[in-house]
Amino acid sequence: MSGCDSIGIYSIETERLTKRFVLDRGLLDQVRNPGKRDVITTLDGVNLKVQEGEVLGLLGPNGAGKSTLIKILCTLILPSEGNAYVGGFDVVKEGQKVRSCIGFITTDERSFYWRLSGRENLQFFATLQNLPQSIARDRVEELLDVVRLKNRADEPFLNYSAGMKQRMAIARGLLNDPAVLFMDEPTRSLDPGAAKSLRDFIKEHIVEEKGKTVFISTHQLDEAEQLCDRVAILDEGRIKADSSPADLKSRLPAGGSLCDVFTFFTGKDFSEENSSSSPFSMPGSGRRRRGLGMGMKRKGF
Amino acid sequence: MLFEKAFWFIKRGYLLQMSYKFDFLLRLFFMLFNILTYYFIAKMMGDAAAQYLEPYGGDYFSFVLIGMAFSGYLMISLRSFSESVRDEQMMGTLEAMLVTPTRTSSIIALSSLWSFIFASFRVLIYLLVGVILGVDMSRANIGGALLILILTIICFSSIGILSASFIMVFKKGDPINMLLMGTSELFGGVLFPIEVFPDWLQSISHILPITYSVNGMRHALLQGYSLAELAPDILTLVLFSLALLPLSLFIFDRAVMKVKAEGGLVQY
Repeated sequence: MSGCDSIGIYSIETERLTKRFVLDRGLLDQVRNPGKRDVITTLDGVNLKVQEGEVLGLLGPNGAGKSTLIKILCTLILPSEGNAYVGGFDVVKEGQKVRSCIGFITTDERSFYWRLSGRENLQFFATLQNLPQSIARDRVEELLDVVRLKNRADEPFLNYSAGMKQRMAIARGLLNDPAVLFMDEPTRSLDPGAAKSLRDFIKEHIVEEKGKTVFISTHQLDEAEQLCDRVAILDEGRIKADSSPADLKSRLPAGGSLCDVFTFFTGKDFSEENSSSSPFSMPGSGRRRRGLGMGMKRKGF
Repeated sequence: MLFEKAFWFIKRGYLLQMSYKFDFLLRLFFMLFNILTYYFIAKMMGDAAAQYLEPYGGDYFSFVLIGMAFSGYLMISLRSFSESVRDEQMMGTLEAMLVTPTRTSSIIALSSLWSFIFASFRVLIYLLVGVILGVDMSRANIGGALLILILTIICFSSIGILSASFIMVFKKGDPINMLLMGTSELFGGVLFPIEVFPDWLQSISHILPITYSVNGMRHALLQGYSLAELAPDILTLVLFSLALLPLSLFIFDRAVMKVKAEGGLVQY
């Protein structure tokens, strides 16, 4: 059902993947400097390989380029340079084939129709996944059962709690039984209890039971440690480290937590305080700092 | 699969529309007000404009009813594609749809289906109320009218897709919509015959598709013109469609590539 017939050694592969965005400029600035272009480099030569059935955690602060990378792999954004393949398909040239074999789980609860029921939402998106009605109906029932929302499926989506909405997002991401599942900060809007429950669900049902290739972006270190076989630390658009959590920790001179690993590879401090703007804070004068604090390099042309 | 998708887009549109029942009832109520307004204007005018209305059967109410009913398709075509892009962007559902294997152009086209069905429902109400108020459609060439309707939808939708391309890239401020909405109502022969204009202004009317659409529709429904008699309007609409549809699809495709490169596909 996944449509990823051409899947090879790697479910996901990127080669020198780079993304630059041209910044919007004010009218006055455009008149004063007509030839100037402000460019932000969000991804800078990213090389990544994810094997089939592997769970890769993309760890980085806000603005590190995590969402941009996921959106390129989901064909929502085109890269500026380099190549990316998902399920063996080129994300630029074979976008439709890529979309046939992926599931995308976003934290944006607005991505559902709030006035439709949970079941109606899933049936609608199942049709967009090219599932014939008879198959779609069974699939939706099966997934409602999996995410434990069967008894609330006919209620309007707007009645659901944040945790239920997130489980609906997971059900939607699994509609086409994707070979590769992308999750963009899946527990971002949840309280600690709901977040733990969701992590357990992902671990048991998606990773252990279904054996999916999962690409999960997060800035929750415990989440990365609990769910991922491998962690790639993305900072300022570059992969700073890429290995298993245990291996990364073993590289520290005196051992330590994943938090220390992050600091070791990026020169930045990880704050355990759950600040809503950013869980990362810049350390004092003794530490290195690169870029503009948004994980991006800026060039003026 | 296309029909199943169309069914679900229509069902989604219907369910969302029906969840705002008061809005639905208000729209119907004020539509009746609109019809009655023109009915009494026509009654007041009597035969005063007979010389201009002669080619259309001589009755102003019949003339304006067909004009208003079918110009609705122009409005819907111009707005629905760009509004569906913007609505889905604002609701936050566009991204979730665009990561499915369904093509972007199909998503935009199917998102507009409910608007066309609602517009057709409005046309039926217009015609029904018109018949009750004395509009004579006993000689109507239904086949000819349907052919003109299909060509009208293709032609107007092409302009609507161009309009959606602008919205996708610039988010707001669509020149095609603004230009055609204003000029079509004034120069398209919707509320009065274009013969009222001096010759040099009539030349503007002749470059607007709506002129041929409402003209053909009036001749088919009110005077029962045969296909041969409707041919000039039909052929002009075919030419407009052949020119506009491929152009609009090409520009829409370029617009999608541009916003994907800029990363602004779901921004509004």
